[in-house]
Amino acid sequence: MVGTAVATARPGQRSPLLKPGTGTLVRAGVAAALLLFALFGLPQLLSLYYIDSMTQVAVWSMAALGLGVLVGRVGLVSLGQVAVLAIGAWVAARLLFATSQPYPLVLLEAGLITMLIGTLIGLPALRLRGLYLALITLMLAGAITVVLATANFPNGGHGFFGYNGSLVNIPPIRRPGVAGSDPAYFRYAVVVAAVMFLLVLVHIRTRPGRAWAAIRQSEPSALAAGINTWFYKLWALALASFITGVAGGVLAGADHYLYSIDFPTYYSITLLAVVLMGGAYSLWGAIVAGLLWQLLPSVLQTWGVSADWLTILFGVGVLQVLTTAPAGLADQVPKDLARLGRLLRRLARRGAPARVARGG
Amino acid sequence: MIEVDGLTVRFGGVTSLDDMSVTFESGTCGLIGPNGAGKTTFFNVLSGFVRPAAGTVRAFGEDLLSMVHFRRARWGVRRTFQTEQAIEQLSVFDNVAMVHEHAWLGGAGRRRDVLDAVEFVGLDVDPWAKVATLAAGQRRLVEVARAVVGRPRLVLLDEPAAGLPDTETEHLSEVIRRIPEHAGALTILVDHDMSLVSACCETTAVLDFGKLIASGPTAAVLRDERVVSAYLGTAEVL
Amino acid sequence: MPSWQDFQPFIVSGLALGGVYALSGVGMVVLYQATGVVYLAFGAVGAMGALIAWSLINDAHAPGWVGWLVCVAFSAVVTLGYGMVFGRALAKRDPLIKAVATLGLTLVLFGLMDLLWTTSGGESRAITLPTDGGGFTIGQVQVDWTQVIGLGAGIVITVVTGAFLRYTKLGTAMRAMANDREITATLGVPVRRVEAAAWLGCGVLAGVAGVLLADLVALDATTLTFLVISSLAAALIARLRSITLTFAAAILIGLVHDLLTPITSLTNYRDMTPFVLAAVALLVLSRSRVLSRSREEM
Repeated sequence: MVGTAVATARPGQRSPLLKPGTGTLVRAGVAAALLLFALFGLPQLLSLYYIDSMTQVAVWSMAALGLGVLVGRVGLVSLGQVAVLAIGAWVAARLLFATSQPYPLVLLEAGLITMLIGTLIGLPALRLRGLYLALITLMLAGAITVVLATANFPNGGHGFFGYNGSLVNIPPIRRPGVAGSDPAYFRYAVVVAAVMFLLVLVHIRTRPGRAWAAIRQSEPSALAAGINTWFYKLWALALASFITGVAGGVLAGADHYLYSIDFPTYYSITLLAVVLMGGAYSLWGAIVAGLLWQLLPSVLQTWGVSADWLTILFGVGVLQVLTTAPAGLADQVPKDLARLGRLLRRLARRGAPARVARGG
Repeated sequence: MIEVDGLTVRFGGVTSLDDMSVTFESGTCGLIGPNGAGKTTFFNVLSGFVRPAAGTVRAFGEDLLSMVHFRRARWGVRRTFQTEQAIEQLSVFDNVAMVHEHAWLGGAGRRRDVLDAVEFVGLDVDPWAKVATLAAGQRRLVEVARAVVGRPRLVLLDEPAAGLPDTETEHLSEVIRRIPEHAGALTILVDHDMSLVSACCETTAVLDFGKLIASGPTAAVLRDERVVSAYLGTAEVL
Repeated sequence: MPSWQDFQPFIVSGLALGGVYALSGVGMVVLYQATGVVYLAFGAVGAMGALIAWSLINDAHAPGWVGWLVCVAFSAVVTLGYGMVFGRALAKRDPLIKAVATLGLTLVLFGLMDLLWTTSGGESRAITLPTDGGGFTIGQVQVDWTQVIGLGAGIVITVVTGAFLRYTKLGTAMRAMANDREITATLGVPVRRVEAAAWLGCGVLAGVAGVLLADLVALDATTLTFLVISSLAAALIARLRSITLTFAAAILIGLVHDLLTPITSLTNYRDMTPFVLAAVALLVLSRSRVLSRSREEM
């Protein structure tokens, strides 16, 4: 859509961050309404089976959010985010067994430690670009998966790894005092997720977000504008690792028992697939990704349909997104709806056959 | 003043710049040559994206090549690229402000500097409009605004008029002519549009196959036999 | 620390495995050079072909060679089909996008394999080649013919491909395309046909690798699909360029992986071998890279 100039700068005009336009207010309103519905409406409406799935949706939406920051905002493709999630879960489980710290503190620590590990491991990889960066994340994640499989997840044992192979009665990973039951834990997970989304939103609207947009557009141009691209990429990596680490912590409490087979290498690929399908750039896309991956299989299971069909669907989805709609569903659906809305408005206004809507 | 001495750049078997030695004195200087002559490579050396095999570049007495690439912006190098680089999802203001921000020019005067730059390039749009809503010519002006905001010392313009209609090229020409006086920067202009180069640049240097084949007052250079024959070898005709 | 005798059988198995990795790695490198695509679905295609072969042999009682042929044919057809549809659709995009797209194909195949050949129920499948039984002994080590074929295939494919690229018209065309696709097209080279040949060749190799790995390692969808990473590691160590280096790296990966087996303190970590070697190679070899383009335009 090509618009032409309308007005010159008005002297009193201020930055949109301080005085949000109507679009932003509407979106914020919708988000708040959905959040309230999720917190208070869903637990009433859904059975325990689906509440469990929705808790997983919250967890994996956070993982998708982390990956979305990397892929959608900065243009870095990581094929190893599930390994980071596993690290977060491992750290949280270890802390939950070894200490009696309050849950929020454990989550924060899990996030920070994962952030540290993710950044340290990812640091040398940042020198690489595009394809090679993606491939090295695959390699590093693979290595981490092997280490985790050997070290095992903590199960209440002693020692650094907190794993006791001969333990017969494995204690479950504890949950926060206020959120022991499944519906209560679901609410807890939603609140944590909301905080993570807010964290990302703040980043996007301020300096790092702008720098990321510049880097994604063109790294040479960003460098020429004086942006320290390496630093901002590192920041994105740190943020993504932190969020994914926290998600891992929430997963630990949700599942009660963790095993390394819960985090196979190919999950990282599927995660990328749903992030692409949901829309890597949009925050809503992360939620769509979580729903695609955790809610749909549950629904299919109740209908007796194998979850393998979803794997196939995601594969097709990747191909479709890459060849036609690069911005994913979260971007495409509102655009299609907007186009439909314009068409309807024109029909209503003119009462005559509408011309095909332009642009969009 | 930019003094280039013995600059040589090699990529595998190709020598993109071959012992280039030239001095850009002041004002607006042109850099022309057929496709593949090494003009963008030269800019890439100045930006820090390419490490030369040999040679030095002294900019206003300082060794430019020893600076890390992203710090050169802070020092005062600005650049436009052949392909569109204005960030679509951000507003005009944010696009220009970003350069100002990362050049560490201080927050106090930022608003004024940004709006100054937008006004200087003659961009008559709402500064908070997203760049995605602008036409091609306007986006080019945003990029030029990014190149002149604050206190640049060296402005590199890489084919800013490519693909623009005559009226917009006219306007761009006027803007470019005023850059040295407005921003106090030395400007190097690379373009294939000879009328633009003649109109804006007092002096011009010519590259062909990585070698400097002429430099001096623009009018004389454009008539130089060697320059003419270099161009006649390709589809570009003066 | 195990003795020399303990290591010997693993040298043999490591070489055999390395040979097959080399075969796969060379296939991937040539395809990348000709089309810019890192074919991450290489393993999945071969895996599905092997499972189809298994079904034909065990359920339909088809003779062995029919099964292997179908496996190779299947891999070739799917790969060629993908190349002609999606390879072409994404031809102008960044190599990263092209690689991620092949991950889409991997997921589709992976889902199909789990759907059609479920692993629940604990039954394990196996492929045996006629060359499994016989063999010979070198010193104190038993070597079976399949292992010889594994290593031999790797050597043969590397040598033949090298010669093909250097001495044939088609091979030279592929090398030209690796350099610059557009210029090659203007020289009158039938770019599409060359690409098709590259895809087809890669598919055939995927099928062969599928059969061999199913025999040497395991007939399991997940294992076979992700063994591609070992071949990929070899290709990455060779910067996706030199096939001789790919061969050497593949042998190295196979050897190191298997030689770690008898070392009790490290054996659990031996699956890290390809990952670690590839990561190190990528990092070391990229040290001197500056942000630069080799052409005039950005």
